[in-house]
Amino acid sequence: MSDPLAVTLGPLTLNNPILTASGTFGYGLEFTDFVDLAAIGGLCTKGLSLKPHAGNAPPRICETPAGMLNAIGLQNVGVEAFVSEKLPKLRACGATVIANVWGDLEDDYVTVVRALEGADGIAAVELNISCPNVRQGGMLFGNSPPLTRALVAKVRAATRRPLIVKLSPNAPDLVESARAAREAGADILSLVNTFVGMAIAPETARPRISFGTGGLSGPAIRPLAVRMVYQVAKALPGVPLMGIGGIAELSDVLEFLAAGATAIQVGTANFKDPGVSGRLVKELTDYCAARKTTVAALVGRAHRGGGRVGGAAGAEG
Amino acid sequence: MKADHRATLTRRQIFSPGLFSVTFDCPDLARAVLPGQFAMLEVPERAQPYLRRAYSVADADAGAGTVEFLIKTIGRGTRALERMPERSTVRLLGPMGNAFTVADLPRGARVAIVAGGIGAAPFPALLRGIAKAGLSADFFLGGRNAKELSIRARFDGLVPGETVLASDDGALGEKGFVTEALARRLGAGTRYARLYACGPMPMFAALAKVVGPARLPSEFSTEAEMGCGFGACLGCVIPGTEKPFIVSCSEGPILSPEKIQW
Repeated sequence: MSDPLAVTLGPLTLNNPILTASGTFGYGLEFTDFVDLAAIGGLCTKGLSLKPHAGNAPPRICETPAGMLNAIGLQNVGVEAFVSEKLPKLRACGATVIANVWGDLEDDYVTVVRALEGADGIAAVELNISCPNVRQGGMLFGNSPPLTRALVAKVRAATRRPLIVKLSPNAPDLVESARAAREAGADILSLVNTFVGMAIAPETARPRISFGTGGLSGPAIRPLAVRMVYQVAKALPGVPLMGIGGIAELSDVLEFLAAGATAIQVGTANFKDPGVSGRLVKELTDYCAARKTTVAALVGRAHRGGGRVGGAAGAEG
Repeated sequence: MKADHRATLTRRQIFSPGLFSVTFDCPDLARAVLPGQFAMLEVPERAQPYLRRAYSVADADAGAGTVEFLIKTIGRGTRALERMPERSTVRLLGPMGNAFTVADLPRGARVAIVAGGIGAAPFPALLRGIAKAGLSADFFLGGRNAKELSIRARFDGLVPGETVLASDDGALGEKGFVTEALARRLGAGTRYARLYACGPMPMFAALAKVVGPARLPSEFSTEAEMGCGFGACLGCVIPGTEKPFIVSCSEGPILSPEKIQW
């Protein structure tokens, strides 16, 4: 048996299915005290734009039951500084780097992707068409299947790298968005980004976040995200999926794999527990070893009627 | 190096209802932490608060292996800390952020420390460092009323200089804001080599107007709501003068006031 944790998502093969989600893992380098970056399946960078971007005015975050709202506004150093300053250090750490990319306009996305083409050490590109916290671009592309299709097709033509499209749970019809992205050339779909939410301070009747609305993340959204992964996996069988939404424990990983995700991204939990991704890799390794199974065998089990894993004598229930 | 530490509550000191100190057994953090740094504290097994909270380390005893925090009860997490039985465990992620600078000051130099309410939190360790470096310090502690100033008990014997109290209602110490008490002394000719401050944003804004014209080099221990504490979420930004935003947790929390856009 080959490595039980290795997974293949179309053109992208990863050592294991535990990645970290864009916007929750900085540029990876903030986490080196807590995680061996080479030990996780991969990391998705903070969303990169053509020029450095300052982001939204504070307050930017607000805690909510079992989660948080954020409207950071895609603050980032810009693609040029990422390639010259961050990427060499990430390569030295042995990290599998997925560059998350966004823009205001179609051409901005294409320009950023082109700027990354010459850089070594990027395993894949993830298109953010689902950020709810900017006035232009972002979620506007993700919420309209025709716009999704046009954007993904343009970016597809601009890169030979594996192309991941990160879907918006706020889209009117997530399956249609997924289909549009896939038909336009996405190799992999990652889902879901944050849900648009709002919190108002009762004493002032003002939104708690300066942007007004924010993206909801954390365990609060997990059942919604699991349902969406299940739905897309069912509608588009064979399309590789990365599941995202409130993952913090091994049981959450197994849940998303069962729903049809081949890999997962840990998000908000990184803030609370910066070592969580590395720990999940270890726990998943132990789980597969104890049950003499592979991650690949765990993918999509909910669509096949479920049932206990391993079954062999001595396996835990 | 930052690490996630398991810590055991060993002591709680109540200054007045809702104002207290907690001391944890946490030897690795106690050895590593510097005055002005903070830790992200997690009360375990709770869905709310979901995120950790940033607390300035009030003092650390490397020999005893303990770290102490001064806390004001304001919500679920602080209430849990106020009620938590001794020997309970929490998680402490740290040490985080930068530290106050003291080492560059010559022996005999005089500094000022300005604290607004629970903003006194980071200063026991700094005061000990100041005394050890042979400096003198005047400690300005302000609060709304006498109850808020009850925390002064933690500073008994720690201040190598004058302690100046100020309360909004005049019940204890000088009447008015602590920043005004400082301004009066500066106006009367008192000079300080450096000022260290911690308190709410309105206090900082008022203080910036005092230290700026006085050309008094200052270190403000800023507070912004932090998601992670180590520069990953970018939630705790403060508008800056040299760039749009300063990330409070990783570039601070100690910032000089001229870098902040007031």
